[in-house]
Amino acid sequence: MLEISNLVLVAQTQGASTRVVDDLSLSLKRGQTTVLVGESGSGKSLTALAVVRLLPPAIRVATGSVRLEGRDLLHLSEREMNSVRGARIGFVFQEPQAALNPVMRIGHQIGEALTRHRGLRGRLLRERVLELLAAVGIPEPQRRFKDYPHQFSGGMKQRVMIAIALAAEPDFLIADEPTTALDVSTQAQILDLLQATQRARGMGMLFITHDLAVAHRMADSLVVMKEGSVVEHDSRDALFSAPVHAYTRHLFAVSPRLTPSALLTPSPVTGEPLLAVRDLNVHFPQRGARWWSRTRSFAAVTDANLEVHAGETVAVVGESGSGKTTLGRTLLRLQPAQSGRVAFLGRDLFALPPESLRRARRELQVVFQDPFASMNPRMTVQQIVEEGLVAQGLLREPGARAAHVGNLLEKVGLDPAWSSRFPHEFSGGQRQRISIARALAVAPRLIVCDEPTSALDVSVQAQILTLLKALQQEQGLAYLFITHNLGVVAQLAHRVLVMHQGRIVESGAAREVLFAPQQDYTRMLLAAVPSLP
Amino acid sequence: MPGLIPAFASVATEPMGLQLLPTDLLFLGALALAAVYGHSAAREPLARARWSRVLHSPGGGIACLVLSVYLAVAVLDSVRVERAEQAPLTVLDLVLTPLRTGMETTYSAPFATHAHARENLEHAPGLWVRDYPRLKFGGRHLALPEETARDLVRRIALGTALGFGVFVVLTLVINQLRGRSLRGAITQWWEPAWRWHWSALGVLCLGITIVGCLADGWHVLGTDKVGQDVLYLSLKSVRTGLVLAVLASLITLPIALVLGVLAGYRGGWVDDVIQYLYTTLSSIPGVLLIAAAALSLDLFLSREAGALHSLALRADLRLLALCAVLGLTGWTSLCRLLRAETMKLSTIEFVASARALGSPSAALLRRHLLPNLMPLVIITTVLDFSSLVLAEAVLTYIDIGVDPSTESWGNLINGARLELAREPVIWWSLASALGGMFGLVLAANVFADTVRDAFDPRLGPDAKGVQGRA
Repeated sequence: MLEISNLVLVAQTQGASTRVVDDLSLSLKRGQTTVLVGESGSGKSLTALAVVRLLPPAIRVATGSVRLEGRDLLHLSEREMNSVRGARIGFVFQEPQAALNPVMRIGHQIGEALTRHRGLRGRLLRERVLELLAAVGIPEPQRRFKDYPHQFSGGMKQRVMIAIALAAEPDFLIADEPTTALDVSTQAQILDLLQATQRARGMGMLFITHDLAVAHRMADSLVVMKEGSVVEHDSRDALFSAPVHAYTRHLFAVSPRLTPSALLTPSPVTGEPLLAVRDLNVHFPQRGARWWSRTRSFAAVTDANLEVHAGETVAVVGESGSGKTTLGRTLLRLQPAQSGRVAFLGRDLFALPPESLRRARRELQVVFQDPFASMNPRMTVQQIVEEGLVAQGLLREPGARAAHVGNLLEKVGLDPAWSSRFPHEFSGGQRQRISIARALAVAPRLIVCDEPTSALDVSVQAQILTLLKALQQEQGLAYLFITHNLGVVAQLAHRVLVMHQGRIVESGAAREVLFAPQQDYTRMLLAAVPSLP
Repeated sequence: MPGLIPAFASVATEPMGLQLLPTDLLFLGALALAAVYGHSAAREPLARARWSRVLHSPGGGIACLVLSVYLAVAVLDSVRVERAEQAPLTVLDLVLTPLRTGMETTYSAPFATHAHARENLEHAPGLWVRDYPRLKFGGRHLALPEETARDLVRRIALGTALGFGVFVVLTLVINQLRGRSLRGAITQWWEPAWRWHWSALGVLCLGITIVGCLADGWHVLGTDKVGQDVLYLSLKSVRTGLVLAVLASLITLPIALVLGVLAGYRGGWVDDVIQYLYTTLSSIPGVLLIAAAALSLDLFLSREAGALHSLALRADLRLLALCAVLGLTGWTSLCRLLRAETMKLSTIEFVASARALGSPSAALLRRHLLPNLMPLVIITTVLDFSSLVLAEAVLTYIDIGVDPSTESWGNLINGARLELAREPVIWWSLASALGGMFGLVLAANVFADTVRDAFDPRLGPDAKGVQGRA
C-alpha cells in the first residue's frame, strides 16, 4: 500500500554532502504494524519525515520514490501533499509538549484537522471531536474539550495527539517514538491504545522506536536500521528468535533486561552507613498568582528514610513527579529541606557551616541526566574537569592539575589529548564520560547519578553502566542511582527504593523488590515494563 | 591640499597647549581602556584567535575599517589645541581649516558656484540687480562658472591618482608589517581571504582623497542656513554621536549587568526590589525625564554661568548631562533580559554541578553565568548603541538634546526640517546626517554580529567538528 523504494536522503553541510539514509526499500501493508528500530543517527526518523515530505531544510531526497497506492508522493505538488498529510497519513510525534499549540483549546486543535480534511463545522464537528476524545480514552470529554494543553499530563497530551492524527481517519499512521518522553505505566497505556486503534481501524502503522522491548510489543514486522541502511528486515517472531545480523545481535545483547540472571550479588552491609537520611521532608513553596496572596506549598518528598553504605548502589525508581530527582538534589544541598536529618560520614549535612559544607561537597558528587546541559559550552574539557579541584583548592599547581585531568580522562575511556576541546565536539556518551570524570576529580565517596543514561542510546548506555560498575569495584564508590528504567536497575543496583508521590513506598534488596514485590504500586510498575523474550 | 599647510604653520608658530573638556577625557579614557584590553587580548592565544577571526571575516574586517575611520575622526575632534586670544580648536578643526573658514552667507547646493537664493547685487555703481550671487568659497578659483565640470573632472582625476598612491603605499606598509617580502607583497596581496578587505581599503582611500581634493575648492555637501559647510558639520557630528553612544552605553552596561544578574541570581526580595525599580522607571516616558533633566541643567548652568569659562564648556556639560540621563534611563530593557537569562542559566545543570563541587558564588558568576550572558549583552548593547545615535537626533530635533552650538546629526536634521518644504528643496543637510548615521549604525551592527559568533565556541575558531562517537 505504502511503498518506499530505493530512498536516498542526503544531508548538505557546507559543501560536503553525506548520505543519511542509503537505498532504503520498505513496503507497508494495511492492517500491519512495521517497526523501525535503530539508535540515534540511524535515519529512522528522517525516513518517516521523508514519507510525509517534512524533512528539515538541510536534508533532501536524492533518489527513490514513496508510493501511496501507486501515486508517487515525492512528485505531488505541495497543495496535493496537504490533502495526503493528515487525511491519508496521520503523524504522532515524540514530544506532545512541543507538538500542541499552547494557546489553542484542545477541542479546536482536533477540530482543525476535521474542518480541513472532512469539512465538518458547528455541531457535527463538536460531536465528532467528543467521540475522538472518548475514543483515545480521555475522561469527561465534554469538560476537557475547552481545556488548554498545559492542563493535561504528558500521557494525556499524547492521547490528544493521537486523536488529532486519527481525526481524518487516515489509512496509515506514522508514530515517531511516541512514548519515549513518557513513564513506563503511561507508555503501556499509549501502546495499548495505538495497537487497539490500529487493529480496530485496520490501519497500517509505521512505528519508530529505539527500544527493542517496545518494538517486540508492537511489531508485526521489524526493520533494524544502522547508519542509514537497513541491516535486517523480518517478521517479529523470526527476528526475535533468530537474529541474523551481527548488529541486531549486538542490540539484543546490550538492551537492559529485567531478569534475575543480571542481578548483582548483594554487597555485605557492614558498619556505619555512608549516608543516612531520617524523616526528610522537602516542600516547594508555590507562589500565588499575586504577590500578596498566601504562599502554599507542594510536598515533593515526604518522610524519606534511607541509607547508603560504602561500595553499594542504591537505586531510586519512580515515575516522573515522584520526587526522586528532588530527593537527590536535596541530599546534594542544591535544594533546601523543610525537616529531617541527613548524616553523611557521621556529620549532619544540614547543620554544616558554609566552609565545612564546601569541604564536605568533595565527598559527595553528582552526574546529571542531560549530557548537553550539564557542561558549560564556553569551557574546555580541562576547565570543566578541573573545576572541583579549583573550587576545593586542591592541586594548585597547573601542571599537576593538567596531569590529573589527563589521568581521569583516561580512566573514563577518553583520550587525554582531548582536554583542550569544547563540549560540543563530543557525542552524548562521551560527554557523560566527561561528567563522570568531573565528579571523580575530587575523589568522592558517593555519587548521586540522576538518570545518567536516559538520554543515551542502548549500546552507549551499556558502556556507561559498565564504566560505572568498574569504577565502583576499583574505588569502592557508592552510587545513589536515580532512574525510571527498571531494566538498568536490574543490572546495577544492590538495593532498590520505589518512590510514589513523594513517599518511599517500598525498599529492599534488588532481588526482592524487582522479583517479589510487596506493594501494589511496585507490581503495577513492573507489569508495565515491556519485556524482551 | 594647499589650505592645510598654512593651517599647520599657524599652529606651529603659536604657543601650543592641550585643553580637554570633560567628555573628551571620558571618551579618550574609554578608548584607552579598550586599547588596554586589546593589548592583553593579543597576548592570550584564545582571545587572539577569536579577534583574528573577527578581522578575517569580510563583514567583521570591513566593519572594523569603517568604525576605525569614524573613531579616528572622533578622536581628532576630541583633542583641543589652545590658541592665544582665541577659542581653542580641535585637531580636526585645524585639519579642516579651509572648510571651517570657507563660509558663505546662506544656503548653497553641493558643487554650486552661486548661492541658493537671490540677493540684491550692485552690478555697477548705482545699478542694483536681484540675482544669485557668486559664492565666496565654492568655485571661487574659477574665472567662469562654466568651467565647473572640467574642474571637477580634473580634481576627481587628481584625487583618484592620489588615492591609488596612498593605497599602494598602505598595501606595501601592511605587507611589510606582516613580514612579507616586497615581491610577495606584489604577487600575493590579492589572495581570496583578504580580497574584500583590500577592496574596502581601496574604496575608502579613493573616497577620502577624492572628497579631500574636491572639498579644497568646493562645498561637496553644500552649506547650511548660516553658510557653514555641511561636510564640515557632518564630520564634526561624528564625535557627538559617538561620544554620546559610547558614554551612555558605559553608564548603562554596569547598572544593567549588576542589577540584572543580582535579580536573577539572588531572587527573593532582591529580585522584587529590582523589578519594581525598573518597572517604575520604564513606565515613566523617557522623553519626560530627559526634558526635566535638560531644564534643570539649563537652570543650573545659567546660575553658574560666571564659573564657566566658555560656551564650549557649557555645551560640553550639556552633552555630558544628556549621556548621563540616557544612560540612567536606558538600562531597564537590558536589565530585564539579563534577569530572565540569569534565572534560566542558574537552573541549568552545569551551574548545579558547579555548586555541588563547592564553587563559591563569585566563581559561578565569573566562570558560568557571565560568559554565557555575553552574547545577549553584546547584541543588546549594540542595538541600544544604534538607538542612542538615533535618539540624539530625535531629542535634539525637539530641542531637549545637545546644545544648539554643538554640531550633531540631530542639529543638522533640525536645521533641515523646515527647508524640506522649500522649492527647490534643500536636501543636503538631511541626506548627509542620514548617511553619517547609517554608516555608523550598520558598521556597529555587523561588527557586533561577527564578535558574537567568534566568541561562541560552537561557531568560533575553536570549533573542530564532532570527533567520533562514544
